[in-house]
Amino acid sequence: MFDATVFSSASFFVGAGLAIGFGAIGAALGEGYTAGIASEALSYRPESSGDVVKNMLVGQAIAESAAIFALVVAIVLLFSQPSSTSFLTCWAAIGAGLSMGLSAIGSGVGSGLPAGAACMSIVRQPGNSNKVITNMLIGSAVCQTPAIFGMVVAFLLLFVDFSNIPLYPGWAAMLGAGLATGLSAIGPGIGNGVTAMEAVSGVARQPETHADVTRTMLIGMSVAQSTVIYGFLVSLMLLFYKFEASSTLASSMQLLGAGFCSGFGGIGPGIGEGITAGYAVRWVSRRIESVGLLLRTMLVGMAVAESTGIYALIVSLLLIVVL
Amino acid sequence: MEELTNIPQLTKELFGINLVFNTETIFMTWVVVASLILFGYLATRKINFLPNPFQVVGELLVNAFYGLAEDALDEELAKKYFPMICSLFMFLLLCNWLGIIPKLSEPTKDLNTPLGLGIMGFFIAHYSGIKSKGLKAYAKEYFEPIFFMAPLNIIGELAKVVSISFRLFGNIMGGAIIILVVSHLVYSLILPPLLVCFFGLFIGTIQAFVFTMLTLVYISVQVR
Repeated sequence: MFDATVFSSASFFVGAGLAIGFGAIGAALGEGYTAGIASEALSYRPESSGDVVKNMLVGQAIAESAAIFALVVAIVLLFSQPSSTSFLTCWAAIGAGLSMGLSAIGSGVGSGLPAGAACMSIVRQPGNSNKVITNMLIGSAVCQTPAIFGMVVAFLLLFVDFSNIPLYPGWAAMLGAGLATGLSAIGPGIGNGVTAMEAVSGVARQPETHADVTRTMLIGMSVAQSTVIYGFLVSLMLLFYKFEASSTLASSMQLLGAGFCSGFGGIGPGIGEGITAGYAVRWVSRRIESVGLLLRTMLVGMAVAESTGIYALIVSLLLIVVL
Repeated sequence: MEELTNIPQLTKELFGINLVFNTETIFMTWVVVASLILFGYLATRKINFLPNPFQVVGELLVNAFYGLAEDALDEELAKKYFPMICSLFMFLLLCNWLGIIPKLSEPTKDLNTPLGLGIMGFFIAHYSGIKSKGLKAYAKEYFEPIFFMAPLNIIGELAKVVSISFRLFGNIMGGAIIILVVSHLVYSLILPPLLVCFFGLFIGTIQAFVFTMLTLVYISVQVR
């Protein structure tokens, strides 16, 4: 038995599975790391267990929000009836699952790192715990941005009416849109976590520098997110660019290739720029007088590290628009 | 979920060109501008040694952003650019917070607002770069490290506009979408106000600050 109705509901189930299946990886890893560091911290000073456990739970709750986004998308996919039995809806559902699931990996891992650093800092410098917790909350919340981009693409795929798009090569555009944002969100999520972790430790050591550290952290994190934004741009291009109907395999593969290109291209620059920003933030906290120089050097270094992501963006745009 | 893709538009034809106005965005921007003007009036109406509440907020903002501008630029340029930086932050902050009031929506949810402000920042940064370094030194930077890197350097500069504006748009749009979807799922009970606090107040503040700081930093990178 093979008809459009069966295939469309099946693809919604596949999409739900992909969303929460991939989405559960990152948050679990990040939360496990947090709990591990919290246990280590407790063994140094068992009498501060109340504060540490409270902070661990708050940090884990934030790290889990990426997985909760994935859960929301999965539930929507499970309980929404396919509005039309077009095959395009099926591919859109699978693309939505991929986009949400993959993009939750990086954010989950990333936001576990500052939470762990905060647990350790509370034990080592109990007097600064307020500033440490504020910095951890800001850092972990900004870590969620890549997952939010993935969720936007997932909901656009689910709810925008694509009935006037030809099935060939439209199916590849749907899948490519999911892959572009989903894959490219992995790197920035992890990289942002590294930056936020360094910022939390820095604030704990030199609490008087917290304003400059938080500012440098925010700038570094948001520049490191550039590649997921390029992936998001490619997804939007794939969703809303008018393609001509064509049954050749090559035109479908171009769009799928564009998705893979900007998706994989975003992983490396995201992590690398996150590490750059992490070192810059660490030394801002230790040598506050050279904050201006550190900030400019960080930005130049990140711009160079990002050039590979820009090459991927150029190739994706060429695949979509020119060829 | 029709609200997601339904954008109120007004199309007018002028000299053979179709002009499209996103009426909701324009109206909400006017609301923001009007409240900023009101705030400015209230903050400066009776300037006193014992300030009124509005004057306190205004002084805090001016102090904080003058300090940030002076850190990034030198004193002379800081005096020149700080009014723009401070008003950009206040505008974006109110834009991002507007969505917490029922029936109103964030102007930054429409890509046109962040893109316009991003292009504005791009031109200001490059204008100040040319002015402070001279056209020759400015143009020479594009041919570093080797001359054939020029096209990639130019694309890298343009990509900054894309990233700064899509970052704000994606965050605010994402917040609005998840609030809408979760409200549908839980029949608007309990959860939505908490989500509005997180996405509207918290993420909105952070993203307004990030946009402002990046505009400032892009100027400072061009100037030095």
